[in-house]
Amino acid sequence: MKRNLIALAATAALLGPLAVMIGCETAPRNNATLEEARSAVQAAEADSNVSKYAPTELERARKLLINADASVKEHGANDKTANHYAYLATQMAHIAEQRAQEQVATARIMSGEAERQRILLSAREHEANNAVAQARTAQSQTEAARSESQNAQAEMAQAQAESRELANQLKDLQAAQTSRGIVLTLQDVLFDTGRSRLKPGAERPLDQIASFLNEHLERRVQIEGFTDSQGTNDYNLELSQSRADAVAMAIIQRGIDAQRIRATGYGEQYPKASNTNAGSRQMNRRVEIILSNGDQAIPGRIASGAP
Amino acid sequence: MITGNGIRNSIYCAIAFAIVACASGPMPVDKLAVAKTSIERAEQAQAAQFAQVELTSARNKYAAAQTAADKNQGEVAARMADQADVDAQLAESTARAKQQEQLVDEMDSSLRDLRNETLRKDNAGSAVTAPPQP
Repeated sequence: MKRNLIALAATAALLGPLAVMIGCETAPRNNATLEEARSAVQAAEADSNVSKYAPTELERARKLLINADASVKEHGANDKTANHYAYLATQMAHIAEQRAQEQVATARIMSGEAERQRILLSAREHEANNAVAQARTAQSQTEAARSESQNAQAEMAQAQAESRELANQLKDLQAAQTSRGIVLTLQDVLFDTGRSRLKPGAERPLDQIASFLNEHLERRVQIEGFTDSQGTNDYNLELSQSRADAVAMAIIQRGIDAQRIRATGYGEQYPKASNTNAGSRQMNRRVEIILSNGDQAIPGRIASGAP
Repeated sequence: MITGNGIRNSIYCAIAFAIVACASGPMPVDKLAVAKTSIERAEQAQAAQFAQVELTSARNKYAAAQTAADKNQGEVAARMADQADVDAQLAESTARAKQQEQLVDEMDSSLRDLRNETLRKDNAGSAVTAPPQP
């Protein structure tokens, strides 16, 4: 009895492992849960993002799969532990994939954020450039306006200085500003009586007029001769014309272009005074020199209605 | 003596029983705690919205693990807790991935808008910088 028992135990001891080994050989390897785990792990392995972003989870999935395989080898295809490990391996492979996916998305968000910053920066640069350009335009406009106003001021100052200078220069010549221009009067005393030759006393006023005309090249000059009412009209016209010509000649001799000069004799027309006494007659004997306002033509006497 | 032997035998017996009981596994208190933490993390990651199936599975398995633990079925409890844990982790990672991908979509469309906006501003800007009409 006891011997039989020992024999049975010995047989079992020998056969047990053998039975397990045979079981391993014959047990169906295609446990569905295990195969699912295997393909899940393989899919995760095939995804380069998984090995890059979730290597720890992938390794865990691999180890769980190995455990599942080992359990199947040890306890058969339908072993609960094998199924359990296979399930864990499947889930871990999916976890690895999801974590990798999350990391990929995060990386895209970061690069998108960088892109956003780049766009904003370039937009800001653009705006700044625009602002700078606008500021420059405004500044140059301001500068132009300022220099214009400075020019205007300078011109005004120059004009004022000129007219002061003019007034100084022509002070001696009884200069009068009229609508025709600046009118200067050379008195009869500067001519020999009844003749058109200028006396030496006329030199200085003529020098002043010539230098004024040299400084103001745009101005023209009109020379008008007048007499008193004594003597014939023809004589007086002739005398007034030749006196005007003499003055014109004297100015031309001082270097002024003849084109700028016109000389006219009016005889006894346009008297300044009554011709009833010697004093008033002397006032009427005269040569008037009219300097144009700028480069404008000097209006004629009748047209302007001037005396 | 006989009584002494009997007591000793019964002690051995008790130890043997304890060992056998132990074979069904100690209660997996730590595994349950781990699974619970994972479920909470999944819930915080809005898995209820983005990975409902996985979260539900995790919760069910966690409940099963507790039931098994209550019934002193340590081994079953440990397996259920482990599975609840990976289900919860999958729920969490799925929820996070989905949300992150939503952000990517939003980012893409906002970048598109931004590019269009910049393009329009550029055109408007160049009109402004054009020299003023004389």
